[in-house]
Amino acid sequence: MSSAVNDRRRINGPARSVEPIYTATVMDSVAAGRSDGRGLDHMRPIYAKAGPISDGQTTASASGSAFYEQGSIRISCAVYGPRSARKPNARRAHFVCDFQYAPFACSKRSHTQSTDEHETSLWLSNTVGPAIRLEMYPKSSIDAYVTVIESDGKMATLAATINCISLALADAGIEMYDTVAACSMGLRDSQWIVDCTHQEDAECSVLVAYMPSVDEVTGVLQTGKTTLEVHEQGVQLCTNVCVRVYAVICRALQASVE
Amino acid sequence: MISQANGSARCRIGHLGLGTDVLVGIKAEVNTWAPGEPESLGSIVCNVECSPSAAQEFEGRGAEDLNVELTQTLDRMFNGPQSGIDMAKLCIIPKQAYWVLHVDALVLDVKGGIVDALVWATRAALLSTKLPRVVVESIADEDGNLQSEFDVVDDAEDQVAIEGVENLPLSVTFNQIGKRFVIDASEQEEAVTQASLTVAVSPKLEICAVQKGGFLRGFPPSLLSEIMQTARRVARDEFAKFKELYETAASNQMGDEPSTGSTFLGAF
Repeated sequence: MSSAVNDRRRINGPARSVEPIYTATVMDSVAAGRSDGRGLDHMRPIYAKAGPISDGQTTASASGSAFYEQGSIRISCAVYGPRSARKPNARRAHFVCDFQYAPFACSKRSHTQSTDEHETSLWLSNTVGPAIRLEMYPKSSIDAYVTVIESDGKMATLAATINCISLALADAGIEMYDTVAACSMGLRDSQWIVDCTHQEDAECSVLVAYMPSVDEVTGVLQTGKTTLEVHEQGVQLCTNVCVRVYAVICRALQASVE
Repeated sequence: MISQANGSARCRIGHLGLGTDVLVGIKAEVNTWAPGEPESLGSIVCNVECSPSAAQEFEGRGAEDLNVELTQTLDRMFNGPQSGIDMAKLCIIPKQAYWVLHVDALVLDVKGGIVDALVWATRAALLSTKLPRVVVESIADEDGNLQSEFDVVDDAEDQVAIEGVENLPLSVTFNQIGKRFVIDASEQEEAVTQASLTVAVSPKLEICAVQKGGFLRGFPPSLLSEIMQTARRVARDEFAKFKELYETAASNQMGDEPSTGSTFLGAF
């Protein structure tokens, strides 16, 4: 639905428009199996490339970049930095993520930044921040600009974003303790399903961002209600899958260097 | 407490009345249903604002980031079935009208433990909220369809509480300092915190929301599971304490000043 407010920066469409609503095909039960035939603990296939915007062929202004695909999720990230900060902190670099959905990325079109995007940007800095050696770059700022080109499953997109940013930061040559790998799970029929698509999106889901070499969980996010035991089981499963995602990201980095 | 609001509460954490101070007001409004929204659910909209009088950094747009973060934290805990509130009961007429509860929080003073104070105050405010009663009339028209109309009863005495408010969660924030963590950190402890984890627990000791903050470091997984166990144990005591304090505040007459420690202020 387009905004009724007169937006002077853009050519306005009709004052009020509603998109057609398709009766959503939501996954009914786990027993029937997933629509794309995956196992319950299988992630969607990942394609990751480091350096599409920052290699020699294009006018390279980004220090590092990455393009990340996971099933239908497509995310592009560019990292600028370390560059001089507007408000320099003498002890460490200022790491900022700018998270944005493309207007066509989600099922509902929106071209203005919602508080959702702003909060996700803040949360991403908290999740990927622990991996960076911020004290190596005093008085500078490292900016990661993320654009979600296509989104499929809210938590899964967030997890994919973290993977993409880690890849771009590594491509930029910024000193890090480890790359952060993330994965998400949804709870359906008391079973944890890895990497839910938009159809499979559940009321309760968990996202874990993990650094395998340092053995540190840099981000946990849970929405929805569940008991402590189920929650712990979910976090444990997530951490295990993160290790596999980590291997994929490292392979992509190796490929970009060769 | 606030006569214009449907429900309100003020929570102050600290000694001698100096500490984190949060004021929450709940206003209920009737919203018209638009295509694309859930057909028979009400909704809760949270908004947190840090008053510039709370700290110098909050002047002008300084508190913007913090406001957004706190708003989303509250939203994650309270907006939806995980809050325990029966959202279906907030619907007046399906596909026509529903109650929207606007939770507006004003942070008056910050001295550590802001998220916990916010959740305590929001829970107390929602517990004290009284919605006007709604009378729905349905008539079947010629085609056999049901035409419904609703009327809000204008009587100030005839009000109902929200269904399911006893299931609202409370939050516990763990701040990691070095290799261990502390709960209910003061201002000084928060200044040296490297990472924090906020866990929202329901009265049935289910985990409602988990969120990690702080960008300096992460948690080792073993510490993470220890934190979750502790959260459940601490929450048990917190709910008992909450009940006691809420009942004291609710029965307070005007002019009674509660004692120090975690306090609820009654009516002004």
